Amino acid sequence: MTNRCMTNRRLTRMHPICTKQYASIGQQLIIGMLCSALLACSADSPDQNTAALNQPYPAQTGGTLISAMPSDPSGMIGMVAGESASLAIGAYLFNSLLTFNQDLDLAGELAESWQVADDKNTITFKLKPGLQWADGKPLTSADVLFTWQLIIDEKTHSPYASDYQLVTKAEAPDAHTFIVHYAQPFAPALESWAHLQVLPKHKLAGQDIHTTSFAQKPLGSHYYQLKEWRHGEYLKLERNPKSVLGPANIDSVVERIIPDPAAQFLELMADNIDSMTLDPITYARIIPSRPALQAKLNQYKELGNSYTYLGFNLKRKPFDDVRVRKAINYAIDKQEIIDGVYLGLGIAIASPYKPGTRWSNPDLTPYPFDPAKAKQLLAEAGYVDSNGDGIVERDGKELSFEVLTNLGNKQREKTAVIIQRRLKEVGIETRIRTLEWASLLTNFIKPGDFDAVVMGWGLSLDPDQYSIWHSSQQGPGQFNFIGYNNPAVDKLLEQGRIEFDPEKRMQIYHDFAKVLYEDSPLVYLSAGYGLTAIHKRVQGIMNPVPPAGVGYDSHKWYLPEPLRRTQIQAE
Amino acid sequence: MQRILQNPMAVTGLCLIGIILLLALLAPWIAPYDPDAVQVKQILIAPSAEHWMGTDGLGRDVWSRMLFGGRVSLLVGLVAVGISTVIGVILGALAGYYRGWVDTVIMRLVDIMLSIPSFFLILAVIAFLSPSITNVMIVIGLTSWMGVTRLVRAEFLSLTQREFVAASTALGAQDWRVIFKHCLPNSLTPVLVSVVLGIASAVLLESGLSFLGLGVQPPQASWGNILTDGKEYIQFAWWLSLYPGLAILITVLGYNLLGEGLRDVFDPRSHTR
Repeated sequence: MTNRCMTNRRLTRMHPICTKQYASIGQQLIIGMLCSALLACSADSPDQNTAALNQPYPAQTGGTLISAMPSDPSGMIGMVAGESASLAIGAYLFNSLLTFNQDLDLAGELAESWQVADDKNTITFKLKPGLQWADGKPLTSADVLFTWQLIIDEKTHSPYASDYQLVTKAEAPDAHTFIVHYAQPFAPALESWAHLQVLPKHKLAGQDIHTTSFAQKPLGSHYYQLKEWRHGEYLKLERNPKSVLGPANIDSVVERIIPDPAAQFLELMADNIDSMTLDPITYARIIPSRPALQAKLNQYKELGNSYTYLGFNLKRKPFDDVRVRKAINYAIDKQEIIDGVYLGLGIAIASPYKPGTRWSNPDLTPYPFDPAKAKQLLAEAGYVDSNGDGIVERDGKELSFEVLTNLGNKQREKTAVIIQRRLKEVGIETRIRTLEWASLLTNFIKPGDFDAVVMGWGLSLDPDQYSIWHSSQQGPGQFNFIGYNNPAVDKLLEQGRIEFDPEKRMQIYHDFAKVLYEDSPLVYLSAGYGLTAIHKRVQGIMNPVPPAGVGYDSHKWYLPEPLRRTQIQAE
Repeated sequence: MQRILQNPMAVTGLCLIGIILLLALLAPWIAPYDPDAVQVKQILIAPSAEHWMGTDGLGRDVWSRMLFGGRVSLLVGLVAVGISTVIGVILGALAGYYRGWVDTVIMRLVDIMLSIPSFFLILAVIAFLSPSITNVMIVIGLTSWMGVTRLVRAEFLSLTQREFVAASTALGAQDWRVIFKHCLPNSLTPVLVSVVLGIASAVLLESGLSFLGLGVQPPQASWGNILTDGKEYIQFAWWLSLYPGLAILITVLGYNLLGEGLRDVFDPRSHTR
């Protein structure tokens, strides 16, 4: 889980999510001890400033916002480093051609306008006039072209290269025009240009991207620039007065590196950080049990772009039988999982899209909990309990399988336990096995050696899910590891990729979700909420939270003078 | 026996272990709830008349889980120590009786095993195999026989010098007869003490492994994994961490007291300490 409040709309890519809660054994033990020690001695004293915190102040500039992130970035060029910490810091520093507005529709960032040609194979971007880097040098289409060349370069080994490699030709005929050509229409292309962090050609040309000092001392064009970086401790960012989108309100942002969520929470309680991502227990139980802390925080709850599922290995029996898959779907009580595991902070879903967005098919309702129907479907599939041991069998073979999930993710372990319980009630025996994340992926998922898994998908904003569902994506290490193969879905996914018209695309993906729903290749368990706590001294946060998330427009956040931390300036 | 009952340490230990063993053995009859019954409407209820030790994050009754978890913890302790004792006694006897290169090989093996921090060895092996009760018992057993080996070897070294051993050898007794009939019964006292102490450390190891998620797998309860579930809620659900912690403490204390008591009783030298 990345842990950012500002500009977290960037670079949400499709990825299997692991959400490991604990970094190492040693850390676990130490944190455990810390928690119990602090429990004994910290008395919540009522804060006299609570009243002042609730008072609205006019927008103003200045102050320092302190935030926490779980790991140290490996470098500042996120598109090369390919890990979330680099991308997170990169989002403070670099701009993209396009961005998403508060309703998650595409909007221009560096680009003033963009045009898709009639044959849909060419996109022309017009850059805004007068763009410049933080050092005052002009930012032109040559920089964009340079960044594209860098990303697709074999030697760069960028994990995000594939989308950009579909560009057959890119050109920058003048300083304000950037044109890309595709061999065939590719609808997710526009979104891909909202992800590409544009880098300065004049700093990077001729350098080895893997060893350049730029990765330590970057130069960007966005709201902030990197002032100081203490590895493993913190990164200090300072406002970029020449920001291409106008200056931000808050003077500086400090991102502290705190790997353990429990340690982050201790820092939040001690008022040493202003914001953090919460888990459901902290959000729903721990913070409410501490009124003095709760009075100082604004808590935000927004539906995340990810979901948890029970996935079947469709190449194995009995999961090749749609009646068995549906029976399992009916036998699982999703609301029970949401209440028990996520303390109610989740919702049941019926399509692989965030509910309430354009792409989610409103006509579908989640499979209800109906054990009678499940038993009936099992009987239709030939599974009956003929020897009276409580487990159904067909041809003398019991319906029994192993559920894998990743070690250390308590939420998934609990989910598996609840599923096990419910499936037993309809006569299906399951065994739970928890495995370390890397071992789960390498030894079981990649070779396809599993019965069923409890895992999650983090989704991109574009509805294209070709890599998860298309039958061609079943190779080792590819995302369709459940082995889903449905010509109707293949066709819809291919159509969706070449259709630019939003209405028509919406229909395609609604149809796609309907086929999946009927086929039940996996059981959608729940879409969880993203939970954030931000100290009340941070004002100007958009209320209500827009679809783009609480971090949207964070450059407009401000810290009213009376509420700031007292700072001692070391000279 | 009389002397054991006169030793206050041994008696206290025996009582503690007795209570825990009894509770674990009677678990299916005295547990008020099904230990695996998930009740999402009753999550994290504090201890009350209805749930003596409260409920956990999935609404399961902690008292019932503690009882069934106790079975696992004690079973692992007993079986693991059984394995390690059998290995330790056999290797120790061979080393002590035959001496020479047999002794050298076995003792160097002991040195090698002792030089590896056993907890990390166990972690590595369990991560490689898959975590399950059986694997945990076997792995703990296979990595904790070194102490017994050394004890038995030392006893054998001195026993083989005694006249009665020389006498039976002179009468033409075969090696195995000398080992099992004459030497072994005379070397079992220190082994008994080490077995009792070994159970304590095996219970701790199992709890540690389950705490790290490498021991008993869900939904089955063990004290270690009740404790690790409790860690998540430690800020407001103290009962989830307190009770399994206490159970482990009492069990380990019980075995240690019994072990120390037995040592006092059997070993004349220890009175001077």
